[in-house]
Amino acid sequence: MAEGGSSVEFSSSLANSNLPPPRTRIFKIIVIGDSGVGKTCLTYRFCAGKFPEKTEATIGVDFRERLVEIDGEKIKIQLWDTAGQERFRKSMVQHYYRNVHAVVFVYDVTNAASFRSLPAWIEECKQHALGTEVPRIIVGNKCDLQESIQVGTDVAQQFADTHSLPLFETSAKNPNSQGEGNCGGGNSDHVEAIFMTVAHKLKSQKPLVLSQPAEGSGGTINLSRGRDDGGDGARSWACSSC
Amino acid sequence: MITTEFLTHIHLFSFPPHLCLSLTEPDCGRKQKLAEIHQALISDPVDIETLRRAAASKGGLLTDELRRKVWPKLLSINVFELPHKPGRDVRKNHKDYNQVVLDVRRSMKRFPKGMPAAERAVLQEQLIDIILEVLKGNPQLHYYQGYHDVAVSLLLVVGERMAIAMLDTLSNFHLRDFMDPTMDRTKHILNYLMPILEQVDTELHDFMIRAEVGTIFALSWLITWFGHVLSEFKHTLRLYDFFLASHPLMPIYLAATIVLHREKEVKQTECDMAMVHHLLSRIPQDLPYELLIGQAQDLFDKYPPSLLAKRAALQSRKSLSISTFQAFQRSTLHQRPDSVLQRLTKAHGSDTSRHGLEAALPRDRGQLWGRGNRMVKMAVWGLSATLGAAVFAVAQTAMDWGPEVLLQLF
Repeated sequence: MAEGGSSVEFSSSLANSNLPPPRTRIFKIIVIGDSGVGKTCLTYRFCAGKFPEKTEATIGVDFRERLVEIDGEKIKIQLWDTAGQERFRKSMVQHYYRNVHAVVFVYDVTNAASFRSLPAWIEECKQHALGTEVPRIIVGNKCDLQESIQVGTDVAQQFADTHSLPLFETSAKNPNSQGEGNCGGGNSDHVEAIFMTVAHKLKSQKPLVLSQPAEGSGGTINLSRGRDDGGDGARSWACSSC
Repeated sequence: MITTEFLTHIHLFSFPPHLCLSLTEPDCGRKQKLAEIHQALISDPVDIETLRRAAASKGGLLTDELRRKVWPKLLSINVFELPHKPGRDVRKNHKDYNQVVLDVRRSMKRFPKGMPAAERAVLQEQLIDIILEVLKGNPQLHYYQGYHDVAVSLLLVVGERMAIAMLDTLSNFHLRDFMDPTMDRTKHILNYLMPILEQVDTELHDFMIRAEVGTIFALSWLITWFGHVLSEFKHTLRLYDFFLASHPLMPIYLAATIVLHREKEVKQTECDMAMVHHLLSRIPQDLPYELLIGQAQDLFDKYPPSLLAKRAALQSRKSLSISTFQAFQRSTLHQRPDSVLQRLTKAHGSDTSRHGLEAALPRDRGQLWGRGNRMVKMAVWGLSATLGAAVFAVAQTAMDWGPEVLLQLF
């Protein structure tokens, strides 16, 4: 980074690490979005399997990870949970953009301002040279709060289509509340499915993102074209009722 | 009348005496320290060096009652000229309003376990007010997430009005670098961490450089004075004693001692940014604080910021906190003891127009309650203004902590 002192710089563990443990690959996913949209809850939900009782403001960057198995391969999913306040993302969070494998943009469906911030986040991502080759998705969080919704699914979907990004609507608090969106595996947990979908996507396009030889990519879900996927892709995950 | 009833109620709820934070210390040492602190407080001018030493040395300032007397001296604050309680308009038209509210409303862990929700809610509203009050009075300062962790630590000990005064001073000096529009100066301060480690343990330093872990794991430690990461409030208070009496860079030296303390763990971790960041950012809750504070002080004496700046090509002039520190310290040298201040304040201004409400630390109890009356009336207005039981609950807690706090709550 041009302006940062070397000691506050970050870079990915994956490509540079001199001793990657054999067989366990790491997918590094950064989670960004405005303050209070629920980034910490989402990442906690996925890594700990439950909704946190209380979360506080994230200062700087927090890190969570979980080991999953995809097509017989054990993969470590690393989630980088970032501070939402602008001053942090301008000076600190940017270091974490380096060598991430995927980006999750989060907004709060009950907070229109957080949705209006998405273009800025997407733009910032581009400035860090994270283009279309890096899987990116949009997650509208808190859709259990039906009565306070400010961002309708149609508006959000339109926006997502414009940017060719898959859209998911969910609730970290009550990910099963929609009662639909099953991935055919009987698991109705949206949050789980969202991150796993990203992981599948990463596994399928591994040669592009990771500096390691490719493996088979069966069973992945192609998310890069959002809408075109019809029932199989992002739309089926969107919460059409909220 | 209602006011006296209210008072009686408060009396009925007399809680255990002030929290003692250094039970481990032998009683005689403790007694001696108490005596020294009291002597320093009544010296004219106040013996600030002794107070600083007491705050940094084993056990820190011992009790919250003493903190309420010593903390303002460490920051050169006249407790008889405290700012007003913020009015309603403090919440109007401030660019950071939403962020402050968001952060404060979800900062539940900062409040004592077992505090009733209604009581906490009242304190949270006060917290929003004091933060916005300081920001409004200092347009050059910008709110950062974590500032609320500092503010709450002050509020819980010294009450609303003194917390405003302390936060104001800290924001202009110790925390100044963090309150720029950007965090470039904060990064600059963080850059002192690795050079300290390099001086003490080259191997550890090199390991962390290889892992490219950076220093963001210590960011919240620095900008909240560890308030964000420690679950035991008594530990936070112990550190606040130390930092209030020290150079603004001291939190970085303490951060270094914590990393050094965990040297073995760090070296056994996979040499990887994520792994090392993960390990270090989760601070063990059973750290030997007294030992680490002593070590931080030693490191500071051995490798002062100016020395590090030379060796590591860090320019201390970039930091406002560092460059203003000497002037700040000079300003603390000629403070009058509270007994004199009170007399001067009285003589100087029966014109209460400027400072309005009475002093926060009256000399004796009789006077306290006499003065308290008006406050209590305000408390009763508060009661009728929908807060009701919650305000009352806070008053109880304040009594638990000491009558001075009660006065400042209203």
